[in-house]
Amino acid sequence: MNKDFTQVGRSVPRKDGPIKVKGEAIYTGDMVLPRMAYGKIKRSPYAHAIIKKIDYSKALEMPGVLAVVTGDEAPNKWGIVPQTANEVALAVGKVRFYNEGVAAVAAIDEETAEAALDLIEVEYEPLPVLTDPFESMKRANEVRIHEDAPENILHSGDQLFGDPDKAFAECTYILEREFSTSYVNHAFLEPHTSLASYDTQSGQLQLWSSTQVPHYLHTQLSIVLEMPMSKIRVTVPAVGGGFGGKGEASSSDFCAALLSRKIGRPVRIVFERSEVFATNKGRHPCHMKVKIGLDKDGYIQAVDFDNTMDGGAYAGWGIVVMFYTASMIHLPYKVPNARANVRRVYTNKPTCGAMRGLGGVQPRFAMECMLDEMAEMIGISPYELKMKNAVESGYRSVSNLHVPHTEYKKCLQTAAERSGYLEKHGKLPFGKGIGLAGGYYISGTAYTLYQSYKPHTTVLLRVDTEGGATLHCAAADIGQGCNTVMAQMAAEALGIRYEDVHVISGDTELGTFDLGSFASRLTYASGVAIKEAAKQINDKLFEVAAGMVGCRADQLEVKDCRFFSKFEPKKTIEWAKVVDVYTNSVGTLTGLGHFSPPRLKGIDLTRGKRVQGANIGHSPTFGFSCQIWEVDVDLETGKIRVDKVTEAGDCGQAVNPMSVDGQVEGSILFAMGQALYEEMKVAPDGKIINASLHDYKVPTAMELPEIDTTIVDSYDPTAPFGVKESGEGPVQPTIPAITNAIYDAIGVRFTDLPITPEKVLKALKEKREKEKSEGK
Amino acid sequence: MYLNNFEYFAPKTPGEALDLVGRMGNKAKVLAGGTDLIIMMKEKMIQPEYLIDINNVKEFKGISYEPGKGAVIGAATKISELEYSPVIRDKYFALHQAAGELGSVQVRTMATIGGNSCHASPAAETPTPLVAFGAKVVISSVSGDRELPLEEFILGNRKNALGEGELLTQFILPEPAPKSASRYWYIGLRDAMEIDAVNMAVNIVLENDGRTVKELTLVMGSVSPRPLVSVEVPGILVGKEFNSELVEKAAQAAAGEAKPISDIRASAEYRREVTAVLARRLLQAAFDAAREV
Ligand SMILES: Cc1cc2nc3c(=O)[nH]c(=O)nc-3n(C[C@H](O)[C@H](O)[C@H](O)COP(=O)(O)OP(=O)(O)OC[C@H]3O[C@@H](n4cnc5c(N)ncnc54)[C@H](O)[C@@H]3O)c2cc1C
Repeated sequence: MNKDFTQVGRSVPRKDGPIKVKGEAIYTGDMVLPRMAYGKIKRSPYAHAIIKKIDYSKALEMPGVLAVVTGDEAPNKWGIVPQTANEVALAVGKVRFYNEGVAAVAAIDEETAEAALDLIEVEYEPLPVLTDPFESMKRANEVRIHEDAPENILHSGDQLFGDPDKAFAECTYILEREFSTSYVNHAFLEPHTSLASYDTQSGQLQLWSSTQVPHYLHTQLSIVLEMPMSKIRVTVPAVGGGFGGKGEASSSDFCAALLSRKIGRPVRIVFERSEVFATNKGRHPCHMKVKIGLDKDGYIQAVDFDNTMDGGAYAGWGIVVMFYTASMIHLPYKVPNARANVRRVYTNKPTCGAMRGLGGVQPRFAMECMLDEMAEMIGISPYELKMKNAVESGYRSVSNLHVPHTEYKKCLQTAAERSGYLEKHGKLPFGKGIGLAGGYYISGTAYTLYQSYKPHTTVLLRVDTEGGATLHCAAADIGQGCNTVMAQMAAEALGIRYEDVHVISGDTELGTFDLGSFASRLTYASGVAIKEAAKQINDKLFEVAAGMVGCRADQLEVKDCRFFSKFEPKKTIEWAKVVDVYTNSVGTLTGLGHFSPPRLKGIDLTRGKRVQGANIGHSPTFGFSCQIWEVDVDLETGKIRVDKVTEAGDCGQAVNPMSVDGQVEGSILFAMGQALYEEMKVAPDGKIINASLHDYKVPTAMELPEIDTTIVDSYDPTAPFGVKESGEGPVQPTIPAITNAIYDAIGVRFTDLPITPEKVLKALKEKREKEKSEGK
Repeated sequence: MYLNNFEYFAPKTPGEALDLVGRMGNKAKVLAGGTDLIIMMKEKMIQPEYLIDINNVKEFKGISYEPGKGAVIGAATKISELEYSPVIRDKYFALHQAAGELGSVQVRTMATIGGNSCHASPAAETPTPLVAFGAKVVISSVSGDRELPLEEFILGNRKNALGEGELLTQFILPEPAPKSASRYWYIGLRDAMEIDAVNMAVNIVLENDGRTVKELTLVMGSVSPRPLVSVEVPGILVGKEFNSELVEKAAQAAAGEAKPISDIRASAEYRREVTAVLARRLLQAAFDAAREV
């Protein structure tokens, strides 16, 4: 923490708070343009089928119907990862998951558009449906989901660091376990919504979209529509949550744009909840085999990680998520030898993609639970084992991940002390338990998804009498609060107040470049750019202020909206007066800052050799945290009640502590959903049978446990304003902490999710029977 | 998710309402809270030509209670009104509990007690305690009223005993016996917005000694197509001094009587197991409460 900051470190109400609370925020679905038409998508009743014929002549004859488009009209493949791009706006020739879009209609109102869907006749030839990744690999000869993937595998990767086999041979404690995770969706409140307006005169398209990634959406629109990016403008109105699910383009974006271009009128498409589930892009179900070896003193010597990922129908973020799971075994503990064999398999299900804490949650579940078990093998507390192995500032993993700064041990210590973990663990009555887990996450990535080394974020600061200070950046505030923290950091750097900084964001035309809201990258990335831009402005204003107060510019400081001499504080002048003088003589003042992440290479440090996919996982810095959960298991019904969660996190310098608390509490409830309640259920024919928020069970306010959060004192000296992340790190420890707590309560280690009352009851019964047969 | 076109009627008196229901017959649907009806229409499961909104008929709403005689509840009474009614809480505690667990605050503000029984979902919240209280329903039509025990009114999933031209207008709850108490609970994944895996109500009457069971009704929901009134549990407990051994026997008996199915919410096996748990807990809780009165 830096005590000299006045704007950074302040708990301020968010810029978007009041209008959202008052219901005044304008989401894409609230927008109505003159002559606007309404779009709807016709969806496939088969999870895998050849499209033999689409006849929409009857739909076109229906009064009020303006146009229909099909996949053949826009066959260019899009995908957030260009090397694996294999999605189309609407299915071409074949559908690969239940409810995949096959045609889109525009009509004068939504009712007509919906009715017209029934008049589109599609002839299918159904193919066998593969819903299980292992079956998919086994039957690849006979059923192929993508022509270019003969084994039904998008990609597989093998990474070797050091010599794990040799290390295992020397280990005193070795544990091997299998884990699997469930098929979950983000369940954000606002469904995907897109409004496109194509101007036939200028050939310009503007798209308003509920997206996290205006830039990547921009590039994909350019590919599918075959229009230069300079003719497309993407604007992000208020967004009702993304959590990764809006981290790539949505078919609503393409269909709205295609229809608008066809009819020369604005077209809006709002997804229904069933369409959100159908297009998914949620967390990958992972089937993991993990082996961990410790030496006689409990130090980790080797980790072997095998992961089969159920990717669903298309590539999406798949390859990236896959390599993230491999990289996540290298932290937050020191692992000198490691091997990862990972593969992402196609199935006829809605595609998996990015979801809050992507790639981390599944391996964290496995590793934190296994270390808990290994502590028991050794006869020490899981706390002690984790403290012993925790990374320290300056650590470099064998895969070359560099941790410039960490307070991970402080997180473990704080959470343990505040919860009384050491006094309670292993000592609570049967049915009550306490569990600990740690975690970490990246604060941004080292690479763009396409081959380019351009800056990832550019910030333009504008200062003049008319606007005061205005920050321009195309970053998307999806509710995570980047508009607020960018304003706080700009205010800090300029020496003014947060309340006085205007933010213009979420627009590829009005804002300068930004890569998007994912990978917990924006606070760090925009922070660097803001510092650089503000310096250019300060340099010029200092000169003017120096003349006005009568001292040298390099003796000045700016704070609390005043310039003053460091040596003679009485020599002072208001910031606004200096800006007036500057504007009146020279005009508007601008500063431009860029952020380019350090280019780190994924190599095996023991051999100095490059390792495929190991660039993924590098980040300028990392956030860390620890959670301790206390549960009460109803031994008769299997129901798990969470009594309390104690969390301690290292997010670097908290820019807005109130927002950090919000992120942490939100993360806890979010991940608790996957641990205990949520799961998309798929019938053998590929149909999602609980595609509504009535049947897909996200935790409600009633499930919210008591939460005690601590932002541990932290400041990363290599980071702008000392910052890291807090949006995705805090989801990492949740699932294993609950699982470990359940073990402490009832002596059963769960290895698959969600841990439902039914599973708990069954496990308790089996345990009792086993104990009986062993004569206990 | 659009509704079909329909004609909308909003009668203001019972006479108007019954007249409309009589004239429109099967082409019409009664609209109470709409929390089941509108969803079925949106999903195109039904496409009625007419909707008859009964919310403006004040005679169909409200709770009245006369000591010694019992309570009369209008069919269009909102679930939230039941939840907050002091009379329901004091006299019919199990119904108070069930009302408080239906859906969410928003749903309870819209939904009605009549709609809950007419929709006749096996997992419905309020029919279970209502049957445990021996509630009767009043069925009205232009040609007059008839009464039926609620357990005979609910015939199965989305099936009730209403004939063409008939409207459910009232629930009649008998006065609770002295030294009696009732309890309700359910098993579900979450603590709100849950479709119950099992629910149950127990209504117990004790002899003056405060130990012997005089009368007992145990009703199970979500484990058969309609509220299931236990035959065996009263057989085990009535006339006996309440004790944990008998409770255990009764709990097993209830589980044996349950006819659960497996679906996306729970397996039949789990449902049967927790039926016994609910029975054990509710019998004990109702007994403890009855000793206090
Ligand atoms: C989000 C959500 C959560 C829910 N959770 C629960 C829950 O936890 N537990 C539960 O039991 N239910 C739940 N429900 C279902 C529903 O709210 C209840 O069944 C409610 O009591 C229905 O009442 P209503 O007044 O809304 O009925 P409506 O939808 O208006 O009517 C339902 C049916 O009954 C008929 N009808 C209604 N009143 C009469 C009458 N007086 N005479 C003749 N016919 C009539 C209608 O024509 C229709 O066919 C939930 C619903 C939603 C949307």
